[in-house]
Amino acid sequence: MTDQDLDQTIRRMAQTPLSRRGFLWASGLSASAAFLAACGPGASSSASTAPSAAAPSTEGSEAPSASPSAEAVVVEKELLMYNWGDYVDPDNMKAFQEQFGVEKFTYDTFASNDEMMAKFQGGAKGQWDISAPTANFVPAMRDQGFIQKLDLPHIPNASLIDSAFKKQWWDPTDEWQLPKDWGTTGITLRTKVVKEDVKTWKQFFELAPKYTGKIVVVDSPDDVFVAPLKALGYSLNSADPKELEEARGLLMGLAPHVLALDSDQYNTKIATEEAVMGLTWTGGILELRDDPKTADTVYLIPEDGTVFWMDTWVVLADAPHPNAANAFLNFILTPEVQAKETMTNQYATCSSAAKAFIDPKMLADPAIFVPDDVLAKLEGQKDNSGIKQRAEIYEEFKSKIGQG
Amino acid sequence: MSASAEPKAASGLPAVAGAAGAAGAAEAARRPTPARERFGTLVEGWLRGHTILIYLFLYIPIIVVVIFSFNATNRRVTDWQGFSLKWYASVLSDKVVQSALANSLIVATSTAIISAVFGTMAALGLQRAPKWFRRPFEALTFVSIIVPEIVIALASLVFFSSSFDILNPIFGLKLKLGFPTIIAAHALFNISLVMLLVRARLSGMDRTHVEASYDLFATPWRTFWQITFPQLLPAVVAGFLLSFTFSFDDYVITTFVSGAGSTTLPLYVFGTIRKGVTPATNAVAAVMLLITLTILVVGQLVVARNARRAGGRSAATVAEMITEQSG
Amino acid sequence: MATTSEAVPVRPTRPPRSFRSGALTTLLVLPASLWYLILLVLPLAIVVVMSFGLQGKFGGYAPGFTLDNYASAFERLTPFTTSLILAFAGTILCLLAALPMAYFIATRAGSRKSLFIVLLVVPFWTSFLIRTYAWLTILGPDGLGGFIGDVVGDSSFRILGTPWAVLIGVVYGYLPLMIFPIYVTLERMDRTLVEASKDLGAGRWSTFRQITLPIILPGLITGSILVFIPLMGEYVIPAILGYGRVFLVGNQLVLQFLESRNWPEGAARAVVLILIMLVSIIFYLWFANRGRKTREVSVI
Repeated sequence: MTDQDLDQTIRRMAQTPLSRRGFLWASGLSASAAFLAACGPGASSSASTAPSAAAPSTEGSEAPSASPSAEAVVVEKELLMYNWGDYVDPDNMKAFQEQFGVEKFTYDTFASNDEMMAKFQGGAKGQWDISAPTANFVPAMRDQGFIQKLDLPHIPNASLIDSAFKKQWWDPTDEWQLPKDWGTTGITLRTKVVKEDVKTWKQFFELAPKYTGKIVVVDSPDDVFVAPLKALGYSLNSADPKELEEARGLLMGLAPHVLALDSDQYNTKIATEEAVMGLTWTGGILELRDDPKTADTVYLIPEDGTVFWMDTWVVLADAPHPNAANAFLNFILTPEVQAKETMTNQYATCSSAAKAFIDPKMLADPAIFVPDDVLAKLEGQKDNSGIKQRAEIYEEFKSKIGQG
Repeated sequence: MSASAEPKAASGLPAVAGAAGAAGAAEAARRPTPARERFGTLVEGWLRGHTILIYLFLYIPIIVVVIFSFNATNRRVTDWQGFSLKWYASVLSDKVVQSALANSLIVATSTAIISAVFGTMAALGLQRAPKWFRRPFEALTFVSIIVPEIVIALASLVFFSSSFDILNPIFGLKLKLGFPTIIAAHALFNISLVMLLVRARLSGMDRTHVEASYDLFATPWRTFWQITFPQLLPAVVAGFLLSFTFSFDDYVITTFVSGAGSTTLPLYVFGTIRKGVTPATNAVAAVMLLITLTILVVGQLVVARNARRAGGRSAATVAEMITEQSG
Repeated sequence: MATTSEAVPVRPTRPPRSFRSGALTTLLVLPASLWYLILLVLPLAIVVVMSFGLQGKFGGYAPGFTLDNYASAFERLTPFTTSLILAFAGTILCLLAALPMAYFIATRAGSRKSLFIVLLVVPFWTSFLIRTYAWLTILGPDGLGGFIGDVVGDSSFRILGTPWAVLIGVVYGYLPLMIFPIYVTLERMDRTLVEASKDLGAGRWSTFRQITLPIILPGLITGSILVFIPLMGEYVIPAILGYGRVFLVGNQLVLQFLESRNWPEGAARAVVLILIMLVSIIFYLWFANRGRKTREVSVI
């Protein structure tokens, strides 16, 4: 992770004297100014409503390198987004609309990547400008012609993305997507009940019979396979039939002890102690830690490794409003805006420049901002949908939940 | 048998009262024995109790929903953190929720109207149709109900996209997914639904009144509207209400055949489950409830007031008269 | 019934049977037929074509011809039997709950009837998900489930995640589909016929069997079809209230179309399911309607 490199760069650039009025005002305005470059008559002059950050850091903000294009860029009056529910801070949406004069911001939702994929595969096209799939879906979307290459010259803030998130297998040239945020899948425990010092997936499987009927697992094939494969020391993307067969054994041993396969209400079940152990994401778990009644809740990243997933921004092929799309992407990557997104969504940002504006308490939270040494052990998620054996094992697992 | 000469009445007790009044001398012979009376009251009591229980069953979750709409919590709906109206404020200012609700209402109303009209027409026409048409048509009706939602949803999406891809260039159109596709897809199931309801109502109905009407020189049009349609009305209304309900609440089909900007309320709610459903959705539900119940209560009052104005008769009697006409 | 015995022979207006009635019939069934043709037959044709195809490189459908999908459609049939059991149980429970209620409402005074009917569907004008989550609270450890657990002293007692919770959810969701058909037939029933039958000395049961039952039978049949069939495809209620512990044919289909992205196999399974159910309904209708003298006489 080259956090340090970027920090140094920022520090160096901050040394140059800035002759602007307000720190925040300047950042917000510079983002839109850099984008609009040669301002046409459509340039917005309304007040920038850049969100207030936490304690302003003494490091300056670096001016995003603007590459002014020769022609004026006119931002369309409408933006159509197809996203997870509630995944963009409403204040940020409003700020974007005001800054760029986008009168209509349509926010349509999907409940899962698979749903989104089925929609595009079924033929929906030319409907939206931007979407936010999880990274492992990007190659399939690219190869089926659902998304278009990013217009990077018009998204200067793309340079703010940490290099740790670039050149990944899903987009080696970084031309097709922009990182949105990232997270992990791990073990959640109610330490009030689970007294053992659980540190690995292997222990998760070993303890299952003891806490039978009190285990919750997210209903996601990719995440479910992480546990057994990592417990066995294999890659979580394994397609090797022998390794998958071994994973199957572990999963079938787990199935009878599982209370529920639930991606949406697992935090409630943990809160009421219906479940005391879980294979989960961080969603909803962080609130439990803050609540005195359930403060014994712990989210941990297993030492035998786990998956790191990343959500991305993509521009859809046939996007009706490409300029508005680029304006939005540039806007959302502005450090303060990114910071606000992180604090609202509670998922880590992929841009260190934003860290300057994030609540230090959140920065110190290992569940959200995973320490570097742990990060090194995380494995990225591949697109495993084509592997039939996995599909069969998952169907079998699902059908055996809670039986016998 | 004097009973057959009584005016037809569909309600229980008033019919008995009417019969008793009109039959005069035969009344004594017809009055139910004390044992039968007691049994009748028992049955009536049991029916009433059962119905109340079921209504309670239907409404308890709704009450829970309304209660938690006042929850001051920020995330988990059922974690009570105090009383607050902030979610109502949030809903009143949240354009996304409002547009989702508006979309749902538009789609549901259109679907219900289309289904009620075409379903009723189909039920009526099917009675006149020859067997070679009727059998396959009925089979299709059942198939439309049998097809699992995910299958018809995806198949319709593929169908719509492919058709648009073909038709748009040829005719220079700009057809795309949106309200029309959602309404069309919803109406499929609902037309069948209305058709089945109206057919159930039609079964065993005969042409006697219709013939009588013709005997009295009424035109076919008039006959339909004054004789046949009132008898069908409960089934048509029931079909309309059910169609509206299913369309309003539909998720799977809507997900796949909707276009940009046609997010309906269920889509919005399902989209938020990953991040956590907030009491805002409860507030929306409570608002919908408030509006509907207000309309109902006002409707009842209006009917009562009109009845009182119409010569001082009680609402019950007037309603009875209306019911008599509608069978 | 009404006879005009010694009336002067008159020439009543009747529509000529030939051209007019044929045109009228066509007009009446045309919209629904078009709907079926365009929005049912064509999409289903696509499904059938898909069912013989291959899985695309990224999932979805790729052109090809194979019978493998149908072979695998007949494997892993357990979810089908589970769905059957759930559908039967749900339909019977709905019937038991709906019949007395339909009877009660049908025997109310005029405007009250409409009020009762509308009040039946008003709860469904709130979001399905929110209602189901309300059941999670009501039946959960903070509600009834926990209460009963305390009363019987069993701390691991649970209503949620069991078939009972699923049945409660199912009856809750499908009740109107059973009530409405029964109600519309009951409501048409002429009470005086029942009175007449009793006056003629028929016992309660004979009256019910010979007067009431034939009239409400179409409603009962329609209601049971309208509940049983969609119930076979149900998967959301078991996923939420059943904690995903019950794996039904609906879950299987969704899994194949969305997560496994194996559209051809899902399509084949769907085709098999549809055919089985269609044949079952035809048998059911034939069985339920035999002995009934149903004349299909047009009322317009």
